[in-house]
Amino acid sequence: MTVAIVGSGLAGFTAYQTLRRELEPEEIAVFGLDEDPAATFRRRAAAIRQREMRSESDGHCRPASFPGLSFGAAVRRRSVRPLVDTVRDRFHPTVPEFLAHVERLRSRSGWERSLHAQRIESVRAVDGGFELDGHGTFRHVLVAPGHPGLNVPDELAGDPRVVHAYEPHDYAATVTVVGAGLAAATEWLNALAAGSEVVSVRRREPVRQQLNVPREYLSRRALDHFHRLPAQERAARLASLLAPSYPTGRQWDEPLAHAAAEGRFRVEERVNGARQVICATGFRRGYAHDPLLARVVAEHGVETKDGWIVLARDGSIPSLTDATRTLALAGVAAQWAFPAADTLTGAKYIAHGFLRRCRTR
Amino acid sequence: MSYTLRGRLESRLAALLPVVAAAALLALAEHKYWPVEAAALMLAVGIALDATVYHAFLSYQPGWASLPLGALELALVVALMHVAGVMAPLGQAFALFGAGWLLAQVLGHAGFPLLRLSYAEDGGELGRLGAAAAVSIGATLVAAGTTAYALSPPVVHLAAGVHQGPLVITHREVLVGDRGSVVRGGIVVKANGVTVKNVSVVGGENGITVENVRDTVLDGVSVSGARLDGIHVRLAGVMIKNCTVDMIGNHLGQGIDISYNMDMGMSMVEGCTVTGGMEGITTHSSMTQVMDNQVSRTTMRGISVTEMSMGMVMDNEVRDAHGIGIWCNDRSMCSIENNTVIDTTGAGYAILASFQSEADLRGNQLAANPIGAAAIESSEVRRDR
Repeated sequence: MTVAIVGSGLAGFTAYQTLRRELEPEEIAVFGLDEDPAATFRRRAAAIRQREMRSESDGHCRPASFPGLSFGAAVRRRSVRPLVDTVRDRFHPTVPEFLAHVERLRSRSGWERSLHAQRIESVRAVDGGFELDGHGTFRHVLVAPGHPGLNVPDELAGDPRVVHAYEPHDYAATVTVVGAGLAAATEWLNALAAGSEVVSVRRREPVRQQLNVPREYLSRRALDHFHRLPAQERAARLASLLAPSYPTGRQWDEPLAHAAAEGRFRVEERVNGARQVICATGFRRGYAHDPLLARVVAEHGVETKDGWIVLARDGSIPSLTDATRTLALAGVAAQWAFPAADTLTGAKYIAHGFLRRCRTR
Repeated sequence: MSYTLRGRLESRLAALLPVVAAAALLALAEHKYWPVEAAALMLAVGIALDATVYHAFLSYQPGWASLPLGALELALVVALMHVAGVMAPLGQAFALFGAGWLLAQVLGHAGFPLLRLSYAEDGGELGRLGAAAAVSIGATLVAAGTTAYALSPPVVHLAAGVHQGPLVITHREVLVGDRGSVVRGGIVVKANGVTVKNVSVVGGENGITVENVRDTVLDGVSVSGARLDGIHVRLAGVMIKNCTVDMIGNHLGQGIDISYNMDMGMSMVEGCTVTGGMEGITTHSSMTQVMDNQVSRTTMRGISVTEMSMGMVMDNEVRDAHGIGIWCNDRSMCSIENNTVIDTTGAGYAILASFQSEADLRGNQLAANPIGAAAIESSEVRRDR
């Protein structure tokens, strides 16, 4: 085996599907503890009671964008509506549809034959590749570690009223939701639907956009310029691109407007005497919070900037990658290369680049 | 999708390659070059819009935008075909454009992403395939142009002066009359694909006879002194443009008579001036468009569409017809629009539908005629509301 994926979540799974176009399951080693690649996503989606994906028809794990999930939805629902909605950029698969898609791919792609239920704690560069915790040396390694833990603001850490949005919870009569992204917006509506009075605490007004980043950042149209930015500017651009956002649309605005008119929804600057505080504040950010990545940086002197590992445009680490071997990152750790790397589109982008690297084998 | 400029161009070229190739094959098979000309115009319009408008104003192009952008491109292509004089049957030209548009959608949404996994993130760029498409499309157009040039009919110049006819044309050719060239005794066209341009014909049984052939073009001809018809077309497809037919003194002949060519597709008489004769322009069992002509001083009818013809009579001016200005007769179906009919004499009609015919009238100016528009013998005249 020459190719390894460290991490068995959705980013690793998407890369696996792409590699499977050219490699057999026995030629790919996947290291991770979850047999179900959607396990983490499933838990978090259930926690915030997410019903629809933010991604669109091409938000799936197959290597090519076509066919999108709207085709399957059209067949299952016996309606052309999903296809029409796709043309209008209004189709969002339901969470069950997406999970069923992952399960179908998993069951027929040989995932189990490649999966090694091991946690990899160090990746060490050696002659001819990378040594993974005594599990062998691989020429091409993709590290997809996922988010490095839930983020709770320091001032709220240890507060017994606090629960993170991505942890199972119900809603008290008065709920304070901290944050301004999609999870926060979902929690506002969830709590209002449960009859709670909701206080939104946020440092800035949320950005309203359909996807995590402006659409032109999903292609070379904006990426070429992004990749040419000096490191300091690139870090600043990344910070602004990753500001919390949630989609536009009446399904978001109308319930909030009604609740505000009834006095059940308001915005405040800081947490007050609420009985429940839900932190919809996302995840810790930066390689230093991930032990595996922190060790790679420390042991190999990898270049970093403002908490990001500096990557080539295809997600590989330049100082550890050459014509004979590849060490690349996927998922949130690869946002230096692709700002939406923590999405399914981003997972595909990284996977495509990794496959090109593996062709040198 | 967010295209890069290169991505737009490469995607367009690759999507149009099959269309250009098909157009070239069609042109070779049919010996008609409008498909290649139309495909080249589609390409030119698309590239121009990509480079100047789309790239600048569409940083992201949603799927639905393909419809209005396609309509815009179609309108521009049709307008440019008109300006450039590309003689294309409109229905087939629309079909060619529609097929190209549909193919582009299928390739853009399905074909290219499957062929090149990173198609979307590369902004539509196709790498080596894009470059190959550009080279192939250029080579196809050059080959088609070279072939068209090599297969184009020979051009024969008729020198100034009087040439004794009848001149019988038995090979595909373009006969161009130099200034002052006259054929005395008539021209007979006996080959497919003949063009006669800027030639004056004097006398002859018919001024110009076209029988049992296809794709004849008479452009800028003038005819006078014919004993029977000025231009006599039987079982043949013709385009007659910018002609002059003088039938003064011939009380029984037709200025232009196009008959029995229903199976030859659409014929056309456009921009002609016909004076005198029993009928100015007449069609029998024919599909002919009669547009922008001036017909005057006929002894019976100005323009007639008869014997189960289907015709569009548009934007003509008919004066001094002794009898009927425009006649739709004998189970014919006529669309009569925006014509001017004045000074009809005798007990005649400006427009008459007779013997089970149907005439749709719209926007006609009828003045100083004994009777305006009428229908007799189980016929119908429908006026636009």
